Amino acid sequence: MSPNDVFDLLILSLLILSALAIARMKDLAAAVILFSVYSFALCLLWVHRGAPDVAMTEAAVGAGITAVLFFYTLARTGRKEK
Amino acid sequence: MRNALALVVVIVLAVLMMAGVSQLPPPGSPDGAVHRHVAAHYIDGGKEAAGAPNLVTAVLLNYRALDTYGEVVVIFAALIAVLAVGLAGHSRGPQRQPEELPVSPVVDLVVRLMAPFIALFALFMILEGHVLPGGGFQGGVVLGALMILLGLVLGPRRLRRMLPTPALFWTRAVALLAFALAAGAGLALAGWLFALPEQPWLRELIIVGLELAIGIGAALALVGFYLSLEADRHR
Repeated sequence: MSPNDVFDLLILSLLILSALAIARMKDLAAAVILFSVYSFALCLLWVHRGAPDVAMTEAAVGAGITAVLFFYTLARTGRKEK
Repeated sequence: MRNALALVVVIVLAVLMMAGVSQLPPPGSPDGAVHRHVAAHYIDGGKEAAGAPNLVTAVLLNYRALDTYGEVVVIFAALIAVLAVGLAGHSRGPQRQPEELPVSPVVDLVVRLMAPFIALFALFMILEGHVLPGGGFQGGVVLGALMILLGLVLGPRRLRRMLPTPALFWTRAVALLAFALAAGAGLALAGWLFALPEQPWLRELIIVGLELAIGIGAALALVGFYLSLEADRHR
């Protein structure tokens, strides 16, 4: 297994772990932060796979903007899952 | 019982998908099916034909410009929907004065310090997106994120004052209008939608203009979402 594959495997397992954590998380603010982690890992994978255009979108939209919009929504609704 | 059924369905689907994936050519191999049809054509002549050395931009803004036009319409429709359901908070009787929350001095300083650099990087991405990775949408999102950051630190009222309302009314639709103009001009002058003129400099100018329009449109849509949520929070 080449170092490239090891990197991909690490990122992919981080993606799966954070996705599972998001689904299980009762604290929605933590879930939003984990969403950012997920997006950032995906962004690294895009860069590594040679798609910098997609990576930029992922970093800006996935890791940045959606978190802000989600936090505003949480401020209106509530932080805990019922 | 139902759980067992779901498990069987998932396993069958997974096996089918794995079987499909194992048949794919290795990623990036030049004789894969996807690389032999239109993609080869784009790579051969994309730089000259579409006015953009960055082939991603060439595909997005010329070969599949109609598709991108649809995406621009989706973003604009989302903004219109958010504004239409009345979250904007304008003209709804006396608005409650929102209490200004204190911002941590660290955040305040960092945002004020980094703002010009972020703005410069966003502009760079928009204007150089046809040569380097990046482009109108990415740059526009960074610009929108910067404005949201400034709104969080300086207060949304100051951000709203920075965006003059009458001009905002039309600039929100700038991406839509620019795409319609490019499509219509191509149709009228050359006979097909988004056709580019002969002169290379004019091609590049049109591509950069489209990028700029997408960037401004995306940034203003994001700021529109943010200001709507912010106004709604104090109602």
